[in-house]
Amino acid sequence: MESKEFYTTKELAGFLDISRVAVFKKIKKGDIKAQKMGRNFVIFKKDIGDIDVFSSNLFKLAKDWALSNKKFPDQFYCQNSGAFQARIATMGSLMIKNQDAKDLFSLLTSIAGEIGNNSYDHNLGQWPDTSGIFFGYDLNKKQIVLADRGLGMLHTLKRVKPELKDHEQALKVAFTEVISGRKPEGRGNGLKYVKSVIFKNPISLIFQTGDAKLILSGGSTDLDLKKVKENIRGCIALITY
Amino acid sequence: MYRLNYLLTMIIELKKFGTTLISRQTGKEAFSALQSFLKDTKKNEIIEINFDGVLTFSPSWGDEFLTPLLNIYGNKLILKNTSNPSVEATIEILEKITGKNFSQN
Repeated sequence: MESKEFYTTKELAGFLDISRVAVFKKIKKGDIKAQKMGRNFVIFKKDIGDIDVFSSNLFKLAKDWALSNKKFPDQFYCQNSGAFQARIATMGSLMIKNQDAKDLFSLLTSIAGEIGNNSYDHNLGQWPDTSGIFFGYDLNKKQIVLADRGLGMLHTLKRVKPELKDHEQALKVAFTEVISGRKPEGRGNGLKYVKSVIFKNPISLIFQTGDAKLILSGGSTDLDLKKVKENIRGCIALITY
Repeated sequence: MYRLNYLLTMIIELKKFGTTLISRQTGKEAFSALQSFLKDTKKNEIIEINFDGVLTFSPSWGDEFLTPLLNIYGNKLILKNTSNPSVEATIEILEKITGKNFSQN
């Protein structure tokens, strides 16, 4: 990820998946705060601050990255577990003050933490290209998005369960069996925890790894598992509440 | 002659390790840091873990910190102020996975 302080209108248009003209219109209307740099407008990252500008495309940004390593705004990137811990703690403290999230904040932070930490724990030292995860949240839309470009569940779980044939089987095992992809370490309870929290609370989850997608709906004990067309090498998760 | 039995209790306030306790790495670090205190515990001493002030807890952190304590101290390990939903949910899953119950009050 680059470290410059601003985005060009072209970069912002790319992130938002809108045209440059549309970005100029938003600047003119005052929806996006921009400054002149030479002959061009630039948008300082500090002026974007919260993620409202990006929120409608949060999941799309994450998915594009997971699928094709497409660039996304730095504020969603957590290169290491330490950066993720700091940002998720911030999310928790914002949720406490938020009317829609305050009753569920501890569980939402906890399950997002399990999903994000899983990405680091299972890919540490083995990231195929970009290390770290995408982590974004939108308190207005009541959603949390996490993604990684890691090895994916099938690859990880096959080490301990070589009989696994496809992503669907791996995803099912990950959410239902106490099994560790880092055996002999005694791990493998994180996603079972996520499932049990969702079953008892008004929280939903869409989770995809490879070409397998799982939908868990709050209050229901159903595991809605299916094969999808797009193949994600790592994992992507959308939590809504 | 009277014989007095003193019940010694070592109180561990989890919030001193942080209020968002979610990763395995930090759980492991916290458990390592605790070792210097635990070496002074007396036989039959109660280990009380107080969750007061903890905002978010998770099975990853708990498995690195609480599970080994449960294995060492068994029913001498007592969990206190566990009403936070993420603490409750974590204790439930750790009990299921370890097949052991935590003592609470």
